[in-house]
Amino acid sequence: MELEQTLPILLGLAWITPLFSFVAILFFGPRMGTHGKNAASVATAAIVCSFVFSLSALLMWIGVHGMSGGSHGSHHVLLTDSQTVLVAGSAQWNLADHQASGSEDASEAVHPAHDADAAGVQPEDAHNLHHSPDSSDSHGAGAHVPISYSGDWYTLFKVGSLELTIGWYIDALTLLMFVVVSLIASCIHIYATGYMHDELHEVIDHEVHLVAGGHLHRPGRFSRFFQSLSLFCFSMFGIVIAGNLAMIFIFWELVGICSWFLIGFYYERKTASNAANKAFILNRVGDFGMLIGLMALWGALGTFRFADSVTMSLDDGKPVVAKGLFNLVRPAENDHQLIVPDGMVKASASGEIAGIMIEHATRPRDGESELKSRISQWRSDGLGSWLLIVAGLGIFCGCVGKSAQVPLHVWLPDAMEGPTPVSALVHSATMVAAGVYLVGRLYPILAPEVLLVIAYIGMITLVIAATIAMVATDIKRVLAYSTISQLGYMMLALGVGGWVAGLFHLITHAFFKSLLFLCSGSVIHACHTNDMRRMGGLAKVMPWTAGAMLIGCLAIIGAGIPFVIGFSGYYSKDAILAQSLSFVQNNPSHQILFLAAAAGASLTAFYMFRLWYMTFAGEPRDHHVAEHAHESPLIMVAPLVVLSFFAVVAGWSFSGEGGLTGLLEQARPAGTSEGASHGLLQVSLMIPAEHESHQGAVHRSATLVAFTTAALGLLAATSLYLWKFVSVELLSRMFGPLVIFLSKSWYFDELYSFLFMKPVLLVSSLASGTDRHAIDRFVDGIAWCARRLAVFDDWIDRFVVDGVVNATAHATWNIGLKMRDFQTGKVRQYVMFIVIGTIALFVLASMLWNSTIAG
Amino acid sequence: MNQPALLPFSLLVFLPACVALVIALPIIPRQREDLVRWIALTTTAIVFMLSVWLALPGGVTAGGVGFMLGEPDMQSVIKLPWIQSFGIEYLLGVDGISMPLVVLTTFLSMLSAAASWPITKHVKAYFVLFLLLETGMLGVFMSLDFFLFYVFWEVMLLPMYFLIGIWGGPRREYAAIKFFLYTLVGSVLMLLAILMLYFTSDLKLLSDEQLVAVHAVSPFMDAATIRSLPGPQHTFNLLALAAIGQLPESPFAAAQILGLSLETWAFLLLLIGFAIKVPIVPFHTWLPDAHVEAPTPISMILAGVLLKLGGYGILRICYPICPGAGLSLAWLVCGIGVLSMLYGAFAALAQKDFKRMVAYSSVSHMGYVMLGLGVWSAVAGQEYRWEYWAQGVNGAMFQMIAHGISSAGMFFMVGVLYDRVHHRNLEEFGGIFNRMPVYSGLAVAIFFAGLGLPGMCGFIGEVLVTLSSWNYSRLFASLSAFTVILTAGYILWAIQRVYLGAEYKGPHGEDLVPITRRELAIATPLVALAILFGIYPQGLFNYISPTVNKQCQTLAAWTRDVNDAVRLNGGIIEPQSATQQKTSPILDSAVLQP
Repeated sequence: MELEQTLPILLGLAWITPLFSFVAILFFGPRMGTHGKNAASVATAAIVCSFVFSLSALLMWIGVHGMSGGSHGSHHVLLTDSQTVLVAGSAQWNLADHQASGSEDASEAVHPAHDADAAGVQPEDAHNLHHSPDSSDSHGAGAHVPISYSGDWYTLFKVGSLELTIGWYIDALTLLMFVVVSLIASCIHIYATGYMHDELHEVIDHEVHLVAGGHLHRPGRFSRFFQSLSLFCFSMFGIVIAGNLAMIFIFWELVGICSWFLIGFYYERKTASNAANKAFILNRVGDFGMLIGLMALWGALGTFRFADSVTMSLDDGKPVVAKGLFNLVRPAENDHQLIVPDGMVKASASGEIAGIMIEHATRPRDGESELKSRISQWRSDGLGSWLLIVAGLGIFCGCVGKSAQVPLHVWLPDAMEGPTPVSALVHSATMVAAGVYLVGRLYPILAPEVLLVIAYIGMITLVIAATIAMVATDIKRVLAYSTISQLGYMMLALGVGGWVAGLFHLITHAFFKSLLFLCSGSVIHACHTNDMRRMGGLAKVMPWTAGAMLIGCLAIIGAGIPFVIGFSGYYSKDAILAQSLSFVQNNPSHQILFLAAAAGASLTAFYMFRLWYMTFAGEPRDHHVAEHAHESPLIMVAPLVVLSFFAVVAGWSFSGEGGLTGLLEQARPAGTSEGASHGLLQVSLMIPAEHESHQGAVHRSATLVAFTTAALGLLAATSLYLWKFVSVELLSRMFGPLVIFLSKSWYFDELYSFLFMKPVLLVSSLASGTDRHAIDRFVDGIAWCARRLAVFDDWIDRFVVDGVVNATAHATWNIGLKMRDFQTGKVRQYVMFIVIGTIALFVLASMLWNSTIAG
Repeated sequence: MNQPALLPFSLLVFLPACVALVIALPIIPRQREDLVRWIALTTTAIVFMLSVWLALPGGVTAGGVGFMLGEPDMQSVIKLPWIQSFGIEYLLGVDGISMPLVVLTTFLSMLSAAASWPITKHVKAYFVLFLLLETGMLGVFMSLDFFLFYVFWEVMLLPMYFLIGIWGGPRREYAAIKFFLYTLVGSVLMLLAILMLYFTSDLKLLSDEQLVAVHAVSPFMDAATIRSLPGPQHTFNLLALAAIGQLPESPFAAAQILGLSLETWAFLLLLIGFAIKVPIVPFHTWLPDAHVEAPTPISMILAGVLLKLGGYGILRICYPICPGAGLSLAWLVCGIGVLSMLYGAFAALAQKDFKRMVAYSSVSHMGYVMLGLGVWSAVAGQEYRWEYWAQGVNGAMFQMIAHGISSAGMFFMVGVLYDRVHHRNLEEFGGIFNRMPVYSGLAVAIFFAGLGLPGMCGFIGEVLVTLSSWNYSRLFASLSAFTVILTAGYILWAIQRVYLGAEYKGPHGEDLVPITRRELAIATPLVALAILFGIYPQGLFNYISPTVNKQCQTLAAWTRDVNDAVRLNGGIIEPQSATQQKTSPILDSAVLQP
């Protein structure tokens, strides 16, 4: 079978298997073995299956495309039954263009870049981002275009040409993420089987104090834990495989809600449910921005697909290409360089368009051709640029939320309320990686201005989080802030143009951070406390854990022998620093980006080894804790060993065949490897091509800087916490206010409570109060007026209308009474009355007769 | 006259009323309350099955009664003369807009009948009114005659008044009167608009084909007869009114009252009438009171069906009949929609009463419906991209159904707790998850549907509306996107206070028994449908889209050919432009694709 048919099937299976596990555990979880014991096996089996599927997909990919970067694979069009076509990126179309026109200059234009690459691979850069020159030359087909396969499984909504679908976009990055996520998740599932053992029977939650006194006793929730974990894996894979932005958004939210379930796993604890809500709501704040970005893209371009899609025309059976986002923003005709797409230009020129359409109202075709001829003019006037920037920034807001960047980072430390395996999987290796992944995925459509913002946000985040990590005492919170800081590094890398560097660090970080978290979990499991001040000297009782954690620490600080070999973090962090250096060399006004990254390396080394020394080295500080500590069972230690292995080797490249970086190079967005990109509005802004940072000089300096700064940080930590040259207490007193400021996490929570929480609650009570006291009062007032009016009406009835009637009746009655006097019983008197009456009638009648009829 | 739909559709509408009559007669002894309950439940179930049978795709089954998927026009039209001197007819029909709402109504009526078991006061009277209410609702959704529509609208109002006023909570009389007066004001405005439109309409303005298409002709009254009659031929026929309203020289647009065109007046009056029902800020304060006081099943009906009548009315009546006013007042419809979204969400955040919070969430969610209906982006940048508007209207329709399911579910979930502990104070719950795990799982699921979580029904409608609104107004779009934060806030906060936590803090804790089978039978279908529509929205769009898309396309073409032509040529309309619209290149979306 062809790769483009097999990969969607394999990855689709890898994606969907955890969903089956979720459904099975949802319905039958508690009945799976005693107390749902086998739920763990079901979930683990599912995720291991996912891993096997992902790995075989990756191996098949390597079999066809190799492991080295820059290969320009051939691309195929495949018609499926549903008449949707798998399109390999945008590549085959421009390939066709190149072939058709025999475009010589296109390939020529590219060759110098390849030469530079070849020159950049120097012997001493054995660890360098590997780029195999021969494979790129063998095809010689124009600019580098990533190999990818895409297509749709399912349509959610369709009207006209607007379509929301569930589909896939598979390139080397997708495959790598699948393998990494499923591998780490498998390890964590196995680990959690041991860690969550307490949940198999009735649990006494010592952190919950009941009103009546005592602690909460509750049934275990073993199966529920694995149920959420499975759903989480499904959602995460959904983000990774997504073929369009709508699908990313769907699974983005699902990941968020899984995180809500998992952070709030101990939902009896107020802190846990608060943390869960905080995480979800802050993520939604990011999603608010993301929605705006999505709307800006959707409104102007009408598509969310990454790649082009091809449908067979119903009229003539010829394929019709609908351009995807990548090809719209970086069209093949423009050598995959970023331009503002027509749709966005038009959306920003609506006033002008209205004028043209009115002018040509009778001949719409003329109006259209007029419109088309004006577009390039409008584009060079800068129309639509801001729309592209808004789209990029908006989507980045979502990433800020999910990847816990400043200013939305405050949820991640609180998220440590969840069980430790969750912290390891969700809040270090995968969910928070989704934001970085999305920036990487959407890299082709991000304008340089957006990248600059990303770089600055990343830089600020990495510094702020690192400073807080330096003073935190909760072992998991240190790791949480370390995660935020490392995510900041990734964002910085992506922002300064280091696409491979950022995603490379994402993957290596996933390994060593999950390792670190699992180690901390092992420590917590043994000590029943998170407080590092009560630990110390644990290396003797927990040698495996201590060793694994040491590997993790060395990996995260980027330890290695310069220019020879190192832990995985050594390679990725070097790449980031090199790219930052390259960026600031080109944009001298942004020096701070490099300086902060270098300083961050020091801080990282300091807080990580502070953690290790406080936990494992020296003498036990709390004997109660130390006595009870023990090494964790095999089921928890084994995953540590596996992850340690990857934390060491993930960055290595093998025998010139390329490793992770080579694979990542294959997915590098078209148009980013050759030449620099310039800002849309700010032309002086220049994002250098990443390959420039592999140049010997830049890279050597970066490596040395990274080594020196990390060594300094390590030295500082060692002298303070191991050799104890200076008393830590003394230092804390000296820098008292600063330490308090840092340990309060820069007062972000207090600030947000003051700036947002309180105003929102105020507005909400205002809205509710308006209803009760303004609108309802008004309505009730009208009702009251109506009733008053009714009472008044009643009064009129009683006293005016009825009064008149009654008065008449009264008068009649009185007259009657008076008349009684006439009733005397004397016949003569009666006769006289009759005579007088008759005469009177006669006179009256004759007068009337005269005046009306005769007159 | 061969009308295969006559019997089944009349049965659908009037069966509940007939059974109500039977229950009202002194045949069943008063003390046999369970019998009454079962009769009512069976009736609603039969009506539900009948509606499903009528909605199933087919077209040829049952002698041409089944629903024809993909057919945008009115189907299964039945037409009998009623009050001939005014041309009032018994005219019913369904299309993609009304059919899903009809099924939603019958479905929720059935579940509400089952949820009415705890009602013990005047059971007979309760179910008589309940069944009358169902007839009223179904009649409104299916009437194609404006007068008939109005009659059913009023028929629905009265039972609701009594159901709240007699079976409600402590402040039931206040709530019932408030509900009644609010709705009555709306009705009066609607009646005014009906009469305005009626006396301005003239069937003779329509061509022979149009007369046939709008079902204005019958065997007794063919087109030639209509033309031969003296004077203007007024009509209550909604389809005919729409056709007249969309004429290049619409009499509704020509007539002027106090400086505004008649259609603007009619649109505004109808809009207010329907907006009260939706309800839209600032006409919404009857809703929280009515909900808080109404018994659970009535809240379910109120939120699930009655609110949809407003949205349905706007979509069915306001826009097609008064397109010009709809276009120029789109900002108003969208604006009050966004206002409701934000206002409702903020107000929900402040509530202490669980049911009141859910009621305000309805205000917020129905705001999406208004926004979606109003995003007249047919003229975005003067390019006739009807697709975005169609997307918004599709989203609004979907949101109505989705909200029907999720809000009914939420009210039911609140009711389940209320039945046990007899209070709704959000501060006095907690720990329900551990006490009633199955119930809590279902409740959290349905609340997530309300939160707009992907994979649940609430997401699709909201995301379609929000995405479509950008091209109409970036401000409104951003505000509607902002609402998702607040929605997450109030729903998660409520879940936390009620379901999470260690222990129950309120009174009657000992009564927190697990969910009963009856309750489970009501909650499960709601949750199942919320998930089904969330992952398979096409199932619903197959019904909705053809009709909605056609309406949007027609009105988009109308905008260009009539509205803009008038504007550009100073009121002179080129006669051929109306016929050219179908083949016009501008409507050809391919040209406009970026």
